[in-house]
Amino acid sequence: MMAQVAFYILAVLAVVSALGVITRENPVHSALWMLLTFFSVAGIFVQLGAEFVAAIQVLVYAGAILVLYLFVVMLLNPRAGGFIRMPAKYIIGSAVSIVVFFQIAITVWSSGIFKNGTIGPLPYAEGMNNVRAYGNVLFTKYLVPFEIASLLLLVAMIGAIVIARKD
Amino acid sequence: MELTLAHYLILSAVIFALGMTGVLIRKNLIVMFMSLELMLNAVNINLAAFSNYLQDMTGQIFIVFVMAVAAAEAAVGLALIISLFRNKQTINAEELNIMRG
Amino acid sequence: MNEYLPVAILMLIAGAVGAIMMFVGGLIRPKKYDKVKSSVYECGMPEFSDARKRYNVRFYIVALLFVLFDVEIVFLYPWAVAFGDIGLYGLVAMFLFLIILVIGFLYEWKKGALEWV
Repeated sequence: MMAQVAFYILAVLAVVSALGVITRENPVHSALWMLLTFFSVAGIFVQLGAEFVAAIQVLVYAGAILVLYLFVVMLLNPRAGGFIRMPAKYIIGSAVSIVVFFQIAITVWSSGIFKNGTIGPLPYAEGMNNVRAYGNVLFTKYLVPFEIASLLLLVAMIGAIVIARKD
Repeated sequence: MELTLAHYLILSAVIFALGMTGVLIRKNLIVMFMSLELMLNAVNINLAAFSNYLQDMTGQIFIVFVMAVAAAEAAVGLALIISLFRNKQTINAEELNIMRG
Repeated sequence: MNEYLPVAILMLIAGAVGAIMMFVGGLIRPKKYDKVKSSVYECGMPEFSDARKRYNVRFYIVALLFVLFDVEIVFLYPWAVAFGDIGLYGLVAMFLFLIILVIGFLYEWKKGALEWV
């Protein structure tokens, strides 16, 4: 019972704040609504037994990426907020995403395995916890993606500095 | 009603659709990028839900890779926006129509 | 799941305390406003310009480097926790990871992105 109540509170918070992101005219307000989305999604992660990922969600998304967005909003101070002016495009854009949503939803509901898919805590061996199991899998099975992630960060670092600097 | 995998998948689909709407209807490039982050978050919920359902850590590991990609994307994309603003004095997606034939 | 119930209760109480304080404060404080009182307070001086003026692009570069190194640190946490299980192998893997990122660090150092000119 507790889990259901928590899930619905978090889900409603996440959806309402996501709506806030796309409907606020001021980019700063969008960014603050996005903060609430990130925290709600972190709560969902905790519920799914992914505590480490929930902590990283708050640390990286809410703590770093969002700050970067706010910096850029204040750096540019754009007056052009709002929505596209053509109502036809507006309606088409909304319709396309509604269609995409129903495609996913129908796929989920029509496949029986999803309806019976149970959600519960992940079983760990004695002395294991989420972060330790995470580290064990990351540094054995997924070592190559891990090293490639460092290359990705290197490229992003160099590229962003080259693009953003004036000279 | 017991919580099932479908609950989380539907939630993720709703957030994904909202993020997609934001990308399609907003004209401020920064807010379009924020909507992209919403879509990435929806994907992360999916990965966490399947990680729990399959009792496998792989989903959680790829969430952190998605976050690394999101950080790199935000860094380079926002640098591009700054560079664009410096050259054209606007980040309105409607006014950036120099490629229109 | 139930072990997070205290966290939820704590967050609820913390939010409620803040909300009640603001509500009660709004009820009982005197509401006398004048022009001087509601003007911008800037250490007793008249303000120079609008607060929403444009920032320097250097703020962005600092924030950007923070984000990327933050992600690097994220990968260090599970490594530190699981170090006893992965041992030397993990140490070599992490050194390779860090060397690649130190290349980026040296690049921006040479480029002068860390200096505030």
